[in-house]
Amino acid sequence: MPGHDRRPRATAAAVTRHAVLILTVFGMLFPMLWALSASFKPGSDVYGASPLPMPATLENYRYALGEFPVARLLLNTFVTAAGVTVLHLAAGLLAAWSFVRFAHRGQRVVLGLVTVALVVPPQALIIPHFLMVARLGQRDTFVGLIVPQLATCALAVLLLREHIRAIPPTLIGAATLDGATHAETLRRVVLPLLRGALGAVAIVVFITTWNEYLWPVLVAPSPEHTTIQVGLQMFETQEGPEHGPLLAAAMLATMPVVAVYFLASRRIADAFLQSGLR
Amino acid sequence: MFTGVLSLLEWDLTSPDRSFVGLDNYRRLAEEPEFPHALTRTGLYVLAMLPFATVVPMALAVMLWKRPGRASDTYRSLLFLPVVLAPVATALAWRFILDPLGGVVNLTLGGLGLPEQDWLGDPDTALWAISLITAGKFVALNMLLYGAALASLDGRALDAARVDGATEWEITRHLVVPQLTGTTVLMSFLCVVFAGQWTFTNIAVLTQGGPDNSTDNAYLRLYTYAFVFFDAGTGAAAAVAIVVLLTVLFAVSAPLRRRHARP
Amino acid sequence: MTGLMGRIRGWRLMPAVVVAVGLLAACGEDSTPTSTSPTPGAIPTLDSATQVTITFLSYNYGTPGLGGQGTQALIDAFEKAHPNITIKPQGVPVKDVLTKLRTDTAAGTPPDVAQIGWSKMAEAVEALPVVPVQQIPPEAEWKEHTAGMSPRILSAVADDGLVKSMPYTMSIPILYYNADLFRAAGLDPAKPPATIEEVREYALAIKAKGSEGVYYAIADTSKSDFLTQSVVNSNGGSLVGGDGEVTVDSSAAVQALTTMQDLTTSGAQPAVNSDSAVAAFNSGKLGMLVTSTALMAGAQKAADGKFELRTAGFPAFGDKPAKPTYSGAGLAVLARDDAHKRAAWEFIKFVTSEEGFEIITSRIGYLPLRDSVATKLADTPIMKLLEPSISQLDTVTPYTSFNGTKANQAVVTLQDEAVEPIVLRGADPGPTLASAADKIRRLTA
Repeated sequence: MPGHDRRPRATAAAVTRHAVLILTVFGMLFPMLWALSASFKPGSDVYGASPLPMPATLENYRYALGEFPVARLLLNTFVTAAGVTVLHLAAGLLAAWSFVRFAHRGQRVVLGLVTVALVVPPQALIIPHFLMVARLGQRDTFVGLIVPQLATCALAVLLLREHIRAIPPTLIGAATLDGATHAETLRRVVLPLLRGALGAVAIVVFITTWNEYLWPVLVAPSPEHTTIQVGLQMFETQEGPEHGPLLAAAMLATMPVVAVYFLASRRIADAFLQSGLR
Repeated sequence: MFTGVLSLLEWDLTSPDRSFVGLDNYRRLAEEPEFPHALTRTGLYVLAMLPFATVVPMALAVMLWKRPGRASDTYRSLLFLPVVLAPVATALAWRFILDPLGGVVNLTLGGLGLPEQDWLGDPDTALWAISLITAGKFVALNMLLYGAALASLDGRALDAARVDGATEWEITRHLVVPQLTGTTVLMSFLCVVFAGQWTFTNIAVLTQGGPDNSTDNAYLRLYTYAFVFFDAGTGAAAAVAIVVLLTVLFAVSAPLRRRHARP
Repeated sequence: MTGLMGRIRGWRLMPAVVVAVGLLAACGEDSTPTSTSPTPGAIPTLDSATQVTITFLSYNYGTPGLGGQGTQALIDAFEKAHPNITIKPQGVPVKDVLTKLRTDTAAGTPPDVAQIGWSKMAEAVEALPVVPVQQIPPEAEWKEHTAGMSPRILSAVADDGLVKSMPYTMSIPILYYNADLFRAAGLDPAKPPATIEEVREYALAIKAKGSEGVYYAIADTSKSDFLTQSVVNSNGGSLVGGDGEVTVDSSAAVQALTTMQDLTTSGAQPAVNSDSAVAAFNSGKLGMLVTSTALMAGAQKAADGKFELRTAGFPAFGDKPAKPTYSGAGLAVLARDDAHKRAAWEFIKFVTSEEGFEIITSRIGYLPLRDSVATKLADTPIMKLLEPSISQLDTVTPYTSFNGTKANQAVVTLQDEAVEPIVLRGADPGPTLASAADKIRRLTA
């Protein structure tokens, strides 16, 4: 840890530093703050330069909640994001474990392939994914929504592999000597040591999936299964969009995640800082 | 795989008749102006966002790392927020702010007597506007990743330099930044990979690739071919082209990444 | 997918299996014919004991706002009147209608009835197994049902005299204007402009008082070309000639778009996209707006208590007759067996009956295609606003589609590569339309 700076001019430096940081935070959050304020503005005041909603109204929220299945969409999004995250962790962990434990000659090739898969963008796979899901009759289902999103688990595999490799072989050896099966070793020895890395992977995957737009649009466009990202697009009706309620719905879509994030933000940051991600 | 096979067919995704057309789809992809144009625009997105994937988050991470404590933790939490915010909601917020007639940006500019601008409707500015909107997410995520790299630095060397009377700037410049080179190379690489993907939502919500295709990118083009025009073959050919390009880039950059990889 | 799980025993084959299953399914699909030939024989009434459930794909269903509420009201009223038929509605974002229809049809589960926008209808009829709606009931029943409907609209949507999809939520372009801004500019709100020349003059007067003048939503963000057609047709041109040839670059079309461009360059029209313009009009900052009547209910709501909203017919070009074309949607039947076809017809018959159009007009704001409904609702505020369009129904010209299954791509090309650059960004109309026309010819060849 770097020591504290006790030289003069330190106050001036500290002020500058805080100013820069506060400005950056403000700049990055400005659109959301603006939208938050605008969502309380009545009707056509939504546009305009007034920073505060005067007069303020809850009408937009009442409208959005009454007309728009926010709860349902959020639940869909949560189920999808959680499902993808769990599958990612499971597949990543098992694959990484087998990479380390069952080394064999084809290893390098397979590992190379996984590394290449890292750069294959999921968008490049949408056509075959879409066709498979459509042929298997899984459009507009959670299965269709979740399973193909597993295609991006290369990052999880590689990252977890690094971490498993860093576990001292003696630890694992000891467990094996004690007669533990692979499953037991994995559960009792490896899992606890990987908590930080798994946490970081889970967070990244969860947020990415929560925010995924293209795949849900394609595979589950109906309100029964689609995610909140796509649902917001339903405000773009042919009969003229309702901008106030649209912003209110966008805020409702954002708030739960932000709340969860603030509850866990320390842990999230720590998970990253300790994950050894580089 | 399957995409490769598809790219050789002429097929509208749904009807039973599809015919083998060989490399025709690739030829069309290369000859028609749209796809090369989309690739160029994707490159511009990468260039525009590169500083926000490297220098900016690095500076923020170093600032936060030098003064650990409650304040820094709070800043870190707030700065990471753009990653958490729903991208469609962010994009919509920008649409209101940048609206040419009623948006706060133009009303303020007009109020100050400055020229107003249709930021998302002018082919000269739209791509930069989308890049800047998307850049927030790069800054937020990469700041944490740089933080992770900084956390594993050896503090003793820095303390020793301080004892020798080096200024904080000198320490940052000569001791910290060089050690982050590996991370920077990785961040640049990720920027190349993700620039196209992360701009997608903003483009889809804000400009649909317009005006005059100026905000097009390779993924939007792929999507348009396959699911707007129902030309599965050309869409698949675009997908293959993107993957091949990225793989080549990956292979070419491998030595660079290896040189800077830490033991 | 490439080898991601390659090393895990048991899982190793999964990607391959998935692909193989997908391909097998694909092959299986090929042998079954996807298009059902329309049965020429009419289908008699359903036995009231027969319970039928039909699916109804609608881009209005489930949307927040009037479209969603009105659609639900239609379904509820229908189910009450027909206890043996259940409607299973499916919502879909409006821009994904064709994608969903195509993929559902490929998967063997097309909806029984689908609401399809007219700009996509030709492609839908071409690519999907649409059963011409006129051929479902006996001829006498068809005649009896359509007797009170606008003959002009029915003949406009017909293909060789055969109505393939039923006019449902229909709209035509109309001139919305802000009477308060008229007065502020010294214009008489009782005398709205009737020609494009007057529109320009009025707009410049409004602009001179600090508001925006007029906006023709011709560069429509939803990429429909109904207003492009209305403008070009009213100038004596067309986008598609009598023999199906592409006439996008004819002199009448070039001239029409030059006039549109002049609105922008003269300052009468702001160079913004249609979303911004509609928002500006609804917040009282734009004097006149020329766009579909579909926005009527929304504009009425926005203007309430804020400014006086009035309407006038679609403006003409000089002394040539105004020729607005329609937008909105029709209902197409994709049901595969007789019971479902008949149930689909019962539903369509109900929503286009007097009771149906009353709901459509009063709840969503689309045009009542029956005189009796227009008369009945005559005193309602929305009907008063729609009146100029009802009087113009007799001038409505058919919406023309480009040939083939790439019709939609051709429309997008026209709108994105010609109309928008010409009208909003000063592209040279002649050459720009010529190059778009070439591309459209290649697409529709």
